[in-house]
Amino acid sequence: MSARPQRNVILNALAQIGEAGLFGLTLLAAVPRSLRYLRETVRQLWFVGAMSLTIIMVCGLFVGMVLGLQLYYVLSIFGGTAASGTVVAIAIYRELGPVVTALLFAGRAGTSITAEIGLMRATDQLAAMEMMAVDPIAYVAVPRYLAGLIAMPLLCAVFCALGIFGGHLVGVTWLGIDNGTFWSNMTATVDVWKDVVNGILVKSLVFGAVVSLIAVYQGYTTPPTSEGVAYATTRTVVASSIAILALDFVLTAFLM
Amino acid sequence: MTAPAASPEPLVSIRGLTTVLNGKTIFDALDLDIPRGKVTAIMGPSGTGKTTLLKHITGQMRGDAGQVIVDGRDVPELSREKLFGLREKIGYLFQNSALLTDFDVFENVAFPLRQHTKLPEVLIRNIVLTKLQAVGLRGAAGLMPAELSGGMARRVALARAIVFDPMLILYDEPFVGLDPIALSQVLKLIRTLNETLGITSVLVAHELDAIKQVADLVYLIASGKVVAQGDPKTIADDGSPWTRQFFGGDIDGPVPFQYPAGDYAQALGLAGTKA
Amino acid sequence: MSQRHSYAVGTGLFIVLGFAALAYLATQTTSVANTHQGASYSVQARFANIGQLKERAPVKIAGVRVGQVSAIVLDPKQEVADVTLSIDQDYSHIPDDSVATIFTSGLLGDQYVGIQYGSSKKDLADGGTLARTKPAQQLEEMLGKFFGAGGVADNLGGSYTVKARFSNVGALSVGAPVKMAGVAIGSVAAVHADPVKLDAEVELSIDKKYDQIPDDSAAAVFTSGLIGTQYVAIQPGGSPEFLKNGDEMVLTQSAMQLEDLIGKFLVNGSPSEKKDAANESPAGKQ
Repeated sequence: MSARPQRNVILNALAQIGEAGLFGLTLLAAVPRSLRYLRETVRQLWFVGAMSLTIIMVCGLFVGMVLGLQLYYVLSIFGGTAASGTVVAIAIYRELGPVVTALLFAGRAGTSITAEIGLMRATDQLAAMEMMAVDPIAYVAVPRYLAGLIAMPLLCAVFCALGIFGGHLVGVTWLGIDNGTFWSNMTATVDVWKDVVNGILVKSLVFGAVVSLIAVYQGYTTPPTSEGVAYATTRTVVASSIAILALDFVLTAFLM
Repeated sequence: MTAPAASPEPLVSIRGLTTVLNGKTIFDALDLDIPRGKVTAIMGPSGTGKTTLLKHITGQMRGDAGQVIVDGRDVPELSREKLFGLREKIGYLFQNSALLTDFDVFENVAFPLRQHTKLPEVLIRNIVLTKLQAVGLRGAAGLMPAELSGGMARRVALARAIVFDPMLILYDEPFVGLDPIALSQVLKLIRTLNETLGITSVLVAHELDAIKQVADLVYLIASGKVVAQGDPKTIADDGSPWTRQFFGGDIDGPVPFQYPAGDYAQALGLAGTKA
Repeated sequence: MSQRHSYAVGTGLFIVLGFAALAYLATQTTSVANTHQGASYSVQARFANIGQLKERAPVKIAGVRVGQVSAIVLDPKQEVADVTLSIDQDYSHIPDDSVATIFTSGLLGDQYVGIQYGSSKKDLADGGTLARTKPAQQLEEMLGKFFGAGGVADNLGGSYTVKARFSNVGALSVGAPVKMAGVAIGSVAAVHADPVKLDAEVELSIDKKYDQIPDDSAAAVFTSGLIGTQYVAIQPGGSPEFLKNGDEMVLTQSAMQLEDLIGKFLVNGSPSEKKDAANESPAGKQ
């Protein structure tokens, strides 16, 4: 079994991607059936989205503050600190907002989705639903997937807002960049389509779709043991992180 | 080899069921009948596929050959909707209760009602409280599954399984891990449900003493076949080697102590000395 | 159930918060108005120097955006930049003697065209011209933009070369743009020190289109922004004779001490070694 690990790693990865893709199709096919569980989707949106708000807001604030500090230091060498508003906004909209939000989302919500579904699998809750004539794909998997899909752009928007607030806090309130300059440079340079829509909506929707799919898939296919749940949770984080960063490159190349 | 039970129209009728899982034959042309309105126990050594048999009855698994007829319908041939329709009439008690951890006891019992009916809240409440009262846990309606003991969780699962007044309840190892008090409670419940509601019950269990108290009929399954059947009070004495080993708890017998393996001497590297 | 109710309320709050953040970012931190382009009319304005004005830069009245710059063309005959302004049809009552000025939003922000109303009773018509303009301020050009020096005219297919001598070229390098009225018309082809006259001889390669530069025009080394590349600015003179290939420009203005003074003033928030560096000769600054 462990005699050919090299080959198995690649083949396993390919097989996982393929199975996850097929699972995604199953999910999509089950979306109409899960419309009657709208209440469950709302409930999952609470767990997946609203419960992630704290970490997203705190991290957004700190990312913005660090950016403000670093930019002030670098730009002050050239006497260009007034541009820090622009750079903070563009860096957050284009890259840091969607990517960091997606990574945090994978760590916070993705793992909890995987662990929850995995435990439901391990404790026969999914089988019990089957036995109660409730389709677990439609009742368990799809609502979580949809909730993740909806929550990501919203979380990303909150992250970006807090990030810019953090940049403003450090740059303007603490380090004394002119308030009007900070905003006017930002508004003059940031483009609503190229920066805000591409970053917050397009990127984070794609990330949300992929991270949620990975999380739900890993949970749903968890071996019904305690190690199984632990491994599945780890795999969710690893696979999501790789997928986010790789997709970020592809998306950036396309959207530029 | 096995003659079907005498009942004219059994609720569940299994004919020639053959299932191979991962190269291992689980069922080998199994024939089995579950009579209506009775408590039937299915016994057998671990790993003989007793739980798998229940999954065949509910359509969660499909055999490679043979028929599983439940209430006149051939389960493996049913479409998804019809299968779900059938399952609404079957209660299934999982070994580990399988309560939904998200919901409290009340909502767990109400879950099938909420999913399949549009009953008014008052009616749902009445039905759920009636079922909880029947298992003696009406006072625990507000607890979460994590706060329940194993016996309580199993009784809640039982309340959930009977919330639709099913025609058939399948109990998967209902006695495992229960203290004597909880065991007696569950035994009494099974008996009561069967007698008062006329629900056909199928038990998968190892405990002969408990089975003697509730079951009307016992099947002993080994090696993918029914090797013995009959009244629980007398089956242990029917003289077959299977029953003697199983109920006597002998270490060796038709069920070998050794898991099937290759030649021992060869495995130890002594192949040359083989006779 | 009250439990369900609280989920719904919390989720609703979350969704509202998310969309509010999105709406805030989209409207308050971006040039959302830039993408709005309804019915508009065009007017011309001529500037002696447009500084860093770019196409699609805003046109504002009293600070309110009313349109955008749709085209910038250098008139090869007159050494003025011909700027076409596309103004929203809603603002069709602009007096025809209004003044167009190139302003900078903030010290380092993008430049825009501001229109100050005149007193005429006649409105500016589509295709009309704003006769009164004020060019981009020289100081602004000195301080410039933080970002870049603007486009360099690379198409040296048809160009001619003139020489200019400077006592100090600062950090002027080969390839730096040559600008007139703020528009790139060529590039620096060579910079070398004259071993005899002990000054710097700079060869300027200028696009053939601009062959009517008076031969008494002045060349000056300016910096676009404090860290921007240096470039050669040509200030037209009044002579009827034009510069020809191989001519030497007599009037030159070297890289100035003023830049360093302003630079020092602006960067005094930076580490102290920068200040020391700025006290040295301008050439050593970089």
